Amino acid sequence: MKILFTLCFLFPLAALAQTTLSGKILDDKGEGIPGANVVLEGTYDGGTTDVEGKFQFTTTEQGKHVLVVSFVGYKEYRQAVALEGSPIVVDTRLEETINELEVVTINAGAFTASDASRRTVFKALDIATTAGATADIAGALNTLPGTQKVGESGRLFVRGGDSNETRTFIDGMLVLDAYGPSAPNTPSRGRFLPFMFKGVSFSTGGYSAEYGQALSSVLALDSKDEAAMTRTDIGILSVGADVAHTQAWDGGSMAAKVQYTNIRPYFGLINQRIDWKTAPASIEGIGAFRQKVGKQGMVKVYGNFNHSDYSLYNHDINDYNHLTVYDLVNNYRYLNGFYKTVLNEKWNVRGGLSYTSIENNNWTGLDHTVETQKGAHAKTVFEGSLSDKAELRTGVEVIQRNYDQVNDLNAGQDYTLSFNEVITAGFAEMDLYTSNAFVMQGGLRSEYNSLNKKISIDPRLSLAYKTGKSSQIHFAYGSFRQTAKNELVRIDHQLGAEKAEHFILNYQIMENNRTLRVQGYYKRYRDLVKYVNGDPMQLANTGDGYAKGLEFFWRDNRTVRNLDYWVSYSYLDTQRDYLDSPYRATPSFASAHNFSVVTKYFFTDVRTQLGLTYSYTSGRPYNDPNADTFNGGKTPYYSDLSVNVSYLPKPYIIVHLSCTNVLGRDNIFGYEYSTSPDAQGTFNSRPIRQPAPRFLFLGIFITLSKDKTTNQLPTL
Amino acid sequence: MKLAMFTYRLLVLLTLVLPAAVMAADDKYTETMQKNINIVYTATAPAELQNAVNTLERIGAAEKSKWEPFYYASFGYVMMANKESDASKKDTYLDQATAALAKAQALRPNDSEIVAMEGFIHMIRINVDPATRGQQYSGLATQNFRKAVSLNPENPRALALLAQIQFGTAAFFGSPATEACATNTQALEKFETFKPADALAPRWGKGMAESMKEKCK
Repeated sequence: MKILFTLCFLFPLAALAQTTLSGKILDDKGEGIPGANVVLEGTYDGGTTDVEGKFQFTTTEQGKHVLVVSFVGYKEYRQAVALEGSPIVVDTRLEETINELEVVTINAGAFTASDASRRTVFKALDIATTAGATADIAGALNTLPGTQKVGESGRLFVRGGDSNETRTFIDGMLVLDAYGPSAPNTPSRGRFLPFMFKGVSFSTGGYSAEYGQALSSVLALDSKDEAAMTRTDIGILSVGADVAHTQAWDGGSMAAKVQYTNIRPYFGLINQRIDWKTAPASIEGIGAFRQKVGKQGMVKVYGNFNHSDYSLYNHDINDYNHLTVYDLVNNYRYLNGFYKTVLNEKWNVRGGLSYTSIENNNWTGLDHTVETQKGAHAKTVFEGSLSDKAELRTGVEVIQRNYDQVNDLNAGQDYTLSFNEVITAGFAEMDLYTSNAFVMQGGLRSEYNSLNKKISIDPRLSLAYKTGKSSQIHFAYGSFRQTAKNELVRIDHQLGAEKAEHFILNYQIMENNRTLRVQGYYKRYRDLVKYVNGDPMQLANTGDGYAKGLEFFWRDNRTVRNLDYWVSYSYLDTQRDYLDSPYRATPSFASAHNFSVVTKYFFTDVRTQLGLTYSYTSGRPYNDPNADTFNGGKTPYYSDLSVNVSYLPKPYIIVHLSCTNVLGRDNIFGYEYSTSPDAQGTFNSRPIRQPAPRFLFLGIFITLSKDKTTNQLPTL
Repeated sequence: MKLAMFTYRLLVLLTLVLPAAVMAADDKYTETMQKNINIVYTATAPAELQNAVNTLERIGAAEKSKWEPFYYASFGYVMMANKESDASKKDTYLDQATAALAKAQALRPNDSEIVAMEGFIHMIRINVDPATRGQQYSGLATQNFRKAVSLNPENPRALALLAQIQFGTAAFFGSPATEACATNTQALEKFETFKPADALAPRWGKGMAESMKEKCK
């Protein structure tokens, strides 16, 4: 170039031989693209297109060159030009690339939360700051449409599905039993702390062929990448304490946390309906290792162990003074290894290995039961693009589970129920974009189950179309299957998988921090396990059912400064004929109307966030053995107003106070009946209530780091 | 939470106080660069900025060993992000700023000016969604500014940016801005003695420090 420049200087005549290049750069709709960079490759010469997509520039370069037009979101355009002094006109249309920001997305039924992405409806941080959720993942997701609030369980019940129909995956790897142990009819908490995750994808139906063994819903959690800074976090809680340390280095980090929870002092202060002998206490250890490998590779190892125990007195329904001691010791281990690496420009591979071990050691009176479940999951997924408009995802996995229940009964007749299941699966799924406005996803999943020796094939299909700049419509269909509950398979190993088909139609408009989502669905259940002639020891896949509903979601954090709120409403109509149902009936966990409003307001002057959550659930069916109709009873409605306050006295200290059900409503979740009728032939009952009307929590979180401005807020 | 109540918008406008007149050009590279650097420093119209950034990217593509075109292209994108009100477009500009800066970084690893610019991008990221991003990105920005200072304690921009984020944090917590003002004084001292390495070395930021001096009185 310098030589050329010098030549021009030496021969002034040559400098006169200027060439003018001009033209118009349009998009595929024929509209001008402003701001595109037009370059004479290898030179400084070029121009930028104006509002109409026009450009013009002159050059003193001579001979053959290449003109390159580029703009973010479009494919680069290249054309050979011969610069000989006569004007050159280049008019062209740029082809759209499939652009992350503009493209239509597959999202029917899914709420994706990630702080990094700009298209999320729900954020990872929302889990920590939603009042009433007490930083529990399921608690926060229960404020989204598609879920049914089942207060005595604390688990996720999705679109007429039982809680075991929602499966949890961490970095794509299956988790067996994602909830901690809880006393009968008291809510359990998720085992995984929300702060570990950078992304949460909660799908209420129609999910990818990558996920199997889930009938209703998938909760996919993406763990955080390497930590950026070294820090120590201390938490002092009204129910325990925790301490965590993170050590960061270039390209990697290591973190460890120890948490001790003991609710005994709290229950000593605030009267509980449960007659505890010893209230729950647990100790938990968490370790995480992250290391970047090569340019874009990543290895993650995560593990936790948990030991918890409690014991309580069970009072007989007919005679309060007749009581049995119930004692539980639970041990849990989870280890997850994840890797991800780029194979070449177009393909990458990810996968991992997970291992779960659960042991429940339980005494009911003098009967002793030990239930153990050990599972391993291995998976490898290849993802890549076949062309710039077709993406393929394909993988294989093996899920192995070993279940044992050893019953040592006081009256003798000890017995063991066990099974060992291996599921081998493969899947392939393709995304085809015809433009940024239309995408089609088709997939197939095949499984082989070693217990019933059956091969299955399930199709999935999704179509999404962008109806406007920020709105889209989406249809999804899929066939899903899941091995029946352990309690059933341990009795009959030959049982077939239970099946569900989802049909979902969804409309979403998302503009400037406001989101509106409306969806309707129909779900068909087949091959549900049913007792033959009412005998729970004789099982067959003869049950069926359906669920249909309409859901509404509105979120707005723009209209009022410092106020963020969302409103969810779900209507559900579901019936199923399964287990002991004599015919199709609405199951006791299903409620027709679920409504919730979540608000968060930040008071800038006092650096305090106030959160309020209101939830309403219409009455749920229960079965009264004294009545003729199965599941004919109906509980009163459920309602709860929860409040939380977070205050930052210093940049590195957070004080967090929360209270559930501040109004103290006595919610009734159902009724328990005695196993045999009394002298008058009546089955006596008692209501299932909240263990206490309110739950109060106080926590002080301190972070020690080099810059003193980091706090635990993003991790709470 | 709205930890990031700092008025970045105002702050960035203040960085645009014209740097000292540039030295006479000695070749085509320096000449073209100076012209476009001046536009990046002074332009307010997005189209004008886009034009300058495009030219800088062209120069960068032609001059494979120079880090300055990408550094100033990155700065130009930060200015564009700052003027954009649409959240997702703001992010797109910041992504482009990050991509351009990565090219500069590949040519000059561990350079104080480049590391400080990286922190600047993080700081503007907060604006997109202060509630969710405040904590994370203010931490990252602080880290970058501190690293930039340790790489070159004489870099006045790294100190001035660090002072800004310290000032914002102090204002948010209603605590005295003593630390921020001390950092800023240090920055102003360094601006006085700062000797640009060459005609194209970064010169911006003094106005920002001077306006904070007023607030510190």
